[in-house]
Amino acid sequence: MLKNYFKIAIAVLRRRKFFTAISLFGISFTLTILMVLTAFIDKVVGDDYPDKKRDRSLYITRLEEDGPTNMSSAGPSFYFLNHYAGSLKIPVKLGISSGYNGTNTYVNNKKIAVNYKYTNADYWDILEYDFTEGKAFNKLEVENAEKLAVISTDMKKAYFGDESTVVGKYIEADNVKYRVCGVVKNVPLTSYLTYSDIYLPYTVSKTDFNDKAYRGGYTGILLANSKSDLSKIHDEYEQVIHKVPMESKDFDHIYSHADAYITSYLDTGNEKQSGVVIALTVIGLFAFLLMLLPTINLVNINITRIMERSSEIGMRKAFGASSKTLVYQFIIENLILTLLGGLIGVLFSIIILKIINSENLIANLELSLNFTVLLIGLVICLVFGFLSGVYPAWRMSKLNVVTALKAQ
Amino acid sequence: MLRHLFKLIWNKKKQNFLLISEMLVSFLVIFAVFTLLIYDYQNYKKPMGIDNENVWLINYNNSLKIDNTDSLDQYYETLAQTIKSLPQIKEISFTGDNTPFSQNQNTGGITLKNKRIDNINWYTVDDNYKNVLDMQLVEGRWFNKGDDVVKDRPVVINADLKEKIFGKDNATGKYIEDIDNKTRSLIIGVVNAVKMKGDFANTEPGLYNRTDTGSFRWMGKILVKVNSGADAAFESQLYKTLANYMKSSNVEIEHLDNKLKNANYWYLVPMIVLLIVAGFLIVNVTMGLFGVLWYNISKRRGEIGLRRSIGASGKSVSAQLVIESLILATLALIIGTFFAVQFPLLNVFDLPAGVYLTAISLSVLFIYLLVLICSLYPAKQAAAIYPAVALHEE
Repeated sequence: MLKNYFKIAIAVLRRRKFFTAISLFGISFTLTILMVLTAFIDKVVGDDYPDKKRDRSLYITRLEEDGPTNMSSAGPSFYFLNHYAGSLKIPVKLGISSGYNGTNTYVNNKKIAVNYKYTNADYWDILEYDFTEGKAFNKLEVENAEKLAVISTDMKKAYFGDESTVVGKYIEADNVKYRVCGVVKNVPLTSYLTYSDIYLPYTVSKTDFNDKAYRGGYTGILLANSKSDLSKIHDEYEQVIHKVPMESKDFDHIYSHADAYITSYLDTGNEKQSGVVIALTVIGLFAFLLMLLPTINLVNINITRIMERSSEIGMRKAFGASSKTLVYQFIIENLILTLLGGLIGVLFSIIILKIINSENLIANLELSLNFTVLLIGLVICLVFGFLSGVYPAWRMSKLNVVTALKAQ
Repeated sequence: MLRHLFKLIWNKKKQNFLLISEMLVSFLVIFAVFTLLIYDYQNYKKPMGIDNENVWLINYNNSLKIDNTDSLDQYYETLAQTIKSLPQIKEISFTGDNTPFSQNQNTGGITLKNKRIDNINWYTVDDNYKNVLDMQLVEGRWFNKGDDVVKDRPVVINADLKEKIFGKDNATGKYIEDIDNKTRSLIIGVVNAVKMKGDFANTEPGLYNRTDTGSFRWMGKILVKVNSGADAAFESQLYKTLANYMKSSNVEIEHLDNKLKNANYWYLVPMIVLLIVAGFLIVNVTMGLFGVLWYNISKRRGEIGLRRSIGASGKSVSAQLVIESLILATLALIIGTFFAVQFPLLNVFDLPAGVYLTAISLSVLFIYLLVLICSLYPAKQAAAIYPAVALHEE
């Protein structure tokens, strides 16, 4: 049966090539845009370099202090994370890192902008950066406040040029000389929790890391033994936060959460606005508006094509085909059309992603079509084909046998 | 004639309903795109309000631990003197975090005659700020040393805020109060509004406060105007001087030119993506409309043949078909305009009404043009139908 439908669908497609071209153009282009968007989202949120243990990690990115008249929100301080998040019993490890900040360095009268990040030693155990040479600094080196630096491949190229190994050499940043102890693969800026050009031990920070202020722009990553511990850690941290004394009289509430990566990544900096909800709404609205026009267009063309086939439909009905069978047949035909369009869309997407990657719009962000993206593309295709097929199919099944046969 | 055409359209209402909704959605998409384009273009034409050439921005994280306010001021006074003594420096100014073309924003509110005005950009700047950025005064004067001893706190507002609260009247010499009506400030001057977020962003109401004795506790930005000859070698010298003086701070030097380029880049990329998407949507719709109109006309060969055989000219047949399509477009546009007009009426995105109205008229024109182009060729084909051939088929 399906084979028959397939044959009919192909025959219909070849009958009026102009209409087929319009339909395929609309479908493939819509899918291209949605797939490029999916590839982008998948890369930005789903890329697990360097935090490969993301599925058993929780992230503390923000501390909010609320009072009757004012509200302040920022990353927690090193002291706060070390003292409170460090007191949790269930997590195995606590990685602490500052946000990335900018500074300059000057080599041979050339300026290089440098982003730096302070980390503790456990940070390097939790996150699995790919070291092209050397290794990270360890606990002892951090405690001794040794002036060590892990640098990114880009930084190595910008500062040292074409030298093959740089471990043991000195890099000057922020007017201080650091000894390079490792070189890691670049992280794109979009992974802002782990991105930086150089990574330094927190003990060499110019600001006092023992300052007892609660807010201070650091991020904590809690590593659990197994996935099942995550919710326990989340609750334990909430309890600890509940008991934290107020920092000043201006405030009566302290909020801080240990959340999964996505929730932390999309944090809006405000307790009352959920970044995940906002992101989903915006993406959903964009996808809806984008698909609306091509869908109406496709419905229009489909109806035109069905009316063209009224004699065929009349004949089938006269020989006893039920409306249901006809609707079923037409939707299948339409799905075949959309899948064909989807195939072309995939080809377009590959070309467009190539162009985006070669233009390097966002440094180190290599977009690619992987299995997830293709799967989402297929789902979009099916939804699209279904939406644009239902109404014309319903109209077709309503055709009166006599008028349909008389039309020719 | 028109009545007759309406009847013809009504007879095929199901088919035409879909065509109308397609035109309607296209109109709304085009309306959105035109609104954005016109708004951006209007902003682009406005003057920047500052001269960002040869202005550098120094960021330092303020981690100085000096409790005594006098010695704190002394510390930064020495820093200012040190920087100014360098050869290529023309002028320097300490400022709050919301510098031009940065992501930082700081807003506040004031009260004027018991009416509260919110969402005012709140700047904290010193006496040299205007000269470093070459801002233009509209009336009154900028801050100077004499303001140290005046009784009322002096503030400078920008032209946008002046227009918002005083209209055409002069603002200099008038008083405003802070939100809780506790302290009042004297407006001593009005400056041109600045496009703080780049070439394509709009100017916003702003209020400039003079730095006071406690400001150095939290400020972390210095703007410096340098000579046009200042190069990386000099920048490195400036950097060393700063880093050696501010031992407990991380220092970064940025160029306002680059920050502007960056701000524009992040504005243009989404815009270009949007234009490409809208362009493809329009091509899609054009082809779809063309196909459907063509098909509809070829289905009506009998009717057209009959009209030709009783004496209608080819021209009048084409005209009938084109006018029919245009009537469909008109119906779609009436509904579309009804929705579009709500934007200026309800003041949805706080854009000037002129932008919306221009966008509406341009989109109406665009859709008419699109439908005209799509229907011309099929109509011409219809005019070429020979009555004998067409009627023979029936």
